[in-house]
Amino acid sequence: MIHVDEQVAVAVNGTGEPIGFKWRNANFLVANKPMRWFIRREWWTEAVRVQRGIGRDVIEVEMWRLMASDLMSKSCQQYELLHAVGKDDWRLVLVYP
Amino acid sequence: MTFTHLNVASAFSGHFGVTRPELLAEATAVRAERALAITDRNGLYGAVKHIGACLKLGLKPIVGVSLNILSETDEKLARCVILAHGGDGGIGWSALCRLVSTANTTKRKEAGIRLSALAKHIDRDGLTVATVLLGPDSNLGRATLTENRSDAAGILVQWIKALPSKGALAIEVATHLTEPGSPYSLTQARRMLALADNLGIPAVITNAVRYLEPDDAVTADVLDSARYLEPLGKFELQPNAQAWLKPAKAMRELALEITEDRTRAKKLLDTTELLAQKCELNPEKDCGWGTPKTPEKVLLGIDGNPFEVLWQKAHAAIDWRYPKAKEKQLLDVKHRLSKELITINQLGFATYFLTVADVAQMIRDMRIRIAARGSGAGSLTNYLLGISGVDPIEHNLLFERFLSTERSSLPDIDIDVESARRHDIYRAIFKRYGSERVTLLSMQSTYRGRGAMRDSGMALGLDDDEIDDIAKNMWRFSARSFRAATETKPELSKLSAALESDRKMNLLVDITERLDRLPRHISMHPCGVILGDGNLLNLTPVETSGMGLPMSQYDKDDMDPMGMLKLDVLGVRMQSAMAYAVREIEKTKNIQLELDEIPKDDEKTFELIRTTNTLGIFQIESPGQRELTGKHQPTEFNDLTIQISLFRPGPMKGNMIAPYLDGRHGFAKAEYIHPDLKPILQETFGVVIFHEHVLRIFDRMTGCGLAKADEFRRSLENPRVAQSVERFFKTQANIRGYDNETIAKVWTILASFSSFGFCKAHGAAFALPTYQSAWLKTHYPTEFIAGLLTHDPGMYPRRLLLAEARRLGVKVLPIDVNQSTNEFLVQPAPKISTNPDEPLYGVRMALTDVKAITEPEVQRIVDEQPFQDIADFYLRAKPSRRTLQNLALVGALDELARVSGHHRGDVMQRVKELNLLKLRPKDDPNQFSFDFELKEYLQNTEDLTREEKLEAELSILKMDVTEHQLEQFRPMLDAMGVVNSSELVGLRNKSEVLIAGVRVATQTPPMRSGKRVVFVSLDDGHGCADATFFDEAQARASHILFNTRLLLISGKTRRTGVNGVSLMAENAWDLKSLWNEWSKQPELSA
Repeated sequence: MIHVDEQVAVAVNGTGEPIGFKWRNANFLVANKPMRWFIRREWWTEAVRVQRGIGRDVIEVEMWRLMASDLMSKSCQQYELLHAVGKDDWRLVLVYP
Repeated sequence: MTFTHLNVASAFSGHFGVTRPELLAEATAVRAERALAITDRNGLYGAVKHIGACLKLGLKPIVGVSLNILSETDEKLARCVILAHGGDGGIGWSALCRLVSTANTTKRKEAGIRLSALAKHIDRDGLTVATVLLGPDSNLGRATLTENRSDAAGILVQWIKALPSKGALAIEVATHLTEPGSPYSLTQARRMLALADNLGIPAVITNAVRYLEPDDAVTADVLDSARYLEPLGKFELQPNAQAWLKPAKAMRELALEITEDRTRAKKLLDTTELLAQKCELNPEKDCGWGTPKTPEKVLLGIDGNPFEVLWQKAHAAIDWRYPKAKEKQLLDVKHRLSKELITINQLGFATYFLTVADVAQMIRDMRIRIAARGSGAGSLTNYLLGISGVDPIEHNLLFERFLSTERSSLPDIDIDVESARRHDIYRAIFKRYGSERVTLLSMQSTYRGRGAMRDSGMALGLDDDEIDDIAKNMWRFSARSFRAATETKPELSKLSAALESDRKMNLLVDITERLDRLPRHISMHPCGVILGDGNLLNLTPVETSGMGLPMSQYDKDDMDPMGMLKLDVLGVRMQSAMAYAVREIEKTKNIQLELDEIPKDDEKTFELIRTTNTLGIFQIESPGQRELTGKHQPTEFNDLTIQISLFRPGPMKGNMIAPYLDGRHGFAKAEYIHPDLKPILQETFGVVIFHEHVLRIFDRMTGCGLAKADEFRRSLENPRVAQSVERFFKTQANIRGYDNETIAKVWTILASFSSFGFCKAHGAAFALPTYQSAWLKTHYPTEFIAGLLTHDPGMYPRRLLLAEARRLGVKVLPIDVNQSTNEFLVQPAPKISTNPDEPLYGVRMALTDVKAITEPEVQRIVDEQPFQDIADFYLRAKPSRRTLQNLALVGALDELARVSGHHRGDVMQRVKELNLLKLRPKDDPNQFSFDFELKEYLQNTEDLTREEKLEAELSILKMDVTEHQLEQFRPMLDAMGVVNSSELVGLRNKSEVLIAGVRVATQTPPMRSGKRVVFVSLDDGHGCADATFFDEAQARASHILFNTRLLLISGKTRRTGVNGVSLMAENAWDLKSLWNEWSKQPELSA
């Protein structure tokens, strides 16, 4: 398992599921039904403000676990993406061997 | 298609839920749903509010509870939601109440119920009356996450066996979309559903809701921290922000995501709605909503018609209350009584009045002082039944303000009793009516500024000092407006500066605001007792209160909707203090006083009040009331009623004080607008102060009747209804011949003043103990001070009472282990002068004020008195080392040593030797002499200095017993020309002066202008001086305005009346640091 933390561009379908992403100038295509869950953030160590109505971003992010293949090498691997809900802001956080 | 949430924790879930029930219901109603459940943790704390909100919004209410379920060996099996079935005439509701009571009245640390007991509660003769939801927080839920999945099936079989009756058990499928394989994950939900299907158990879907919106999850984190008493990051956090009240569409999507099958998803949702329907409550028929409940007649000793009994009882008391009445007055009394009784009968409240009268009689039979408070004093019936001690006819009080056929809610009759006997009274009520008919009332305290900031600071891991530092500068604003307050309040300027750059401080302010007004903890209501019939415990759950008696989980706002009879038996320390004084008078002077019978026109008493030395007198001792006393100069009982009523937020905001005083002192001619209003408003010189005034004016000018008039008065506060009241008033007054100008003028007054007014009956009820305490202070100051010191009824520290005692010439006798007890006794005092008026008695300081002394230590001293010498005391009273030292330091052993001519320095030496002994010698005559040969004191020890003695008194007793603590600064004060508080009244207006003293009160009352004004009162041994700080002075003295204890204040005198004077402060300084500076200057201190 390799920890990374890099911005990636992600394409999603109509329900918001990722279908492909671009990482380090390579294009990846999602090969299975991705799994989604939500994890929390430690807002007291990160956030600047947490006033009422600030929204869920300050406390929660969406996680996606998916199989994807590099269009060039065709090797299929498992990846985890972190997504700030409601924004086009994605980060690749984990690459499984 | 609708969706009903069946697992919803509201804010009444002990720091678990975040949202108040009303808001949850509103959101559900907006979504056009049919029903909503509330399932608070461990109790039905939010249930009545939930039902009330649902009724108002047209929702079907569902109520359940979330409880720990225990095995037979009290191991925790699960936390389950248990939902009462509805529409069954209350069987389900009573089962829920009873099982919640069972779960809360055990000796366990946390509420919980054994599975076997639960099964019994929800099976009523084969009929299932509630459903248990077995969800993720259970041994079953945990088992689905382990490798060996067959365990889970086995566990479910166990549950089915334990809850065999049909419909008693359902599987709760819930997911918060957590990481796959963890609790509340999709994986777990799918496995739970599969198990349910395999074993043929119905499954429902919930969202295990903790809050309304995802954003509220931040607040949930802070509440979690408060619940675990650990800062964030130090305990297992909620996994994400999914536990919100998701709308139906989101719940349908979740169902589909779990089942991955449209048909199965539909069945899951359908089963959920079926169970919801089964649980919909009929509030009237299931919960007894709105039906008044009183004890059964036989318990009140009545057979036959309660109204007839009430009629006879009230009439029989006329001779007692009006012994000297003439024919005409008797007619008036009887006429008014008939009117009241007819109303009471129409409302069906006869049993209620008899119940309260029964309780009042019981209290009197216990020889405990009792007085009524509130609008109940306006009722002649209450006066005759002995519930109230104020004659409503003599004081012009109106029954209609208290009760009328226009309203049918049970009236509040509040009674004040001696605080020290309150628990005895509660126990007696339980005994008299039976524990199945009585419970105490609970109270939900809510987060206010400081509490919210403290818990927020703890969550963020701030240290205690930092939190204290901010807390002591938080004054008079709600948590909700914390950020705004930092911008405007000078004492928060440090925090305000920190907000520029300090991230943590910003978070602190934000989460403090989030906690505003959320329930903080439940406790026993200070005075409420619920009296019901034999069915009471089927309608309210109870838990064990701090004092051991059962307490309802409902609060005072829940009483009226539930039709429950709440009796307020309020412990009033002043009543205890007065009862104590009366006992001491009887003991030392052999005089038996009937305080309630003393004439209410004693001139000496009013003379004392007019001096403004009102310290210790009920209701009029505060700085503001003292100032008002100086301006007002009361001369009769009704003046006290008026003064107490004037000094209330309403009349103050309504600017009633100045016009009234102008009228009273003849500075302005009283204006009555119309001759018809003169009889009504004469007592207040034309100023409308009392609710009773408004009622009478309405009645006089429209002929609407006093009952209707009170409805009008109430509706004036609601602008929409007020319009129709205005039309009615103007039309009717016109018909009755009043001219337009009069009508317009009167209406303006009614419309603007009525919401500011005060109930005269309430004022009069308070005026009685005010007068009684003033009378005692005037005629029996020593005994009265003893009562005050023993029961501490007032707003001031005890050391101020001592200063007042000295000022009054009351002798203060120091603590003496041979004389002192746990009370401040009145004892013979040594004669120190040839003055024939010198009092023969003094107040002996009590042992209880010695720092860190324990109750058993006090008890041993009292039991073993008298002592021969210090060694004897040491042996028999067995004080701890610290207590022995403290007693010696404050001079409690001086008398033991004085016999042999020794001073406190010798005593301290002796105590030091005793405290060095490793083992206390046994109290055995044979061993007595061992080591105790030191009959001789060491010689040549130095006595303690005056400063050291004073220091010891202040730190150990928090009181300066031997002299006023300001005296130590006397040289500096004299050099500076500081004036005494008692001299202020003789100075000219606007004289520039310096005053010094010990802070005794700091107040920031609401002001009409909206600007903040800070009142600081100082005691200097000559009385109290009050200083007023406006904006500029506040800014100058901001660093010491709220904290520093010993102050020097500069300012100008401001005369406010004959005996009224206060100081317009310009600046203030810390007296101690001034003294340190001053005494460093050799040429001055030499």
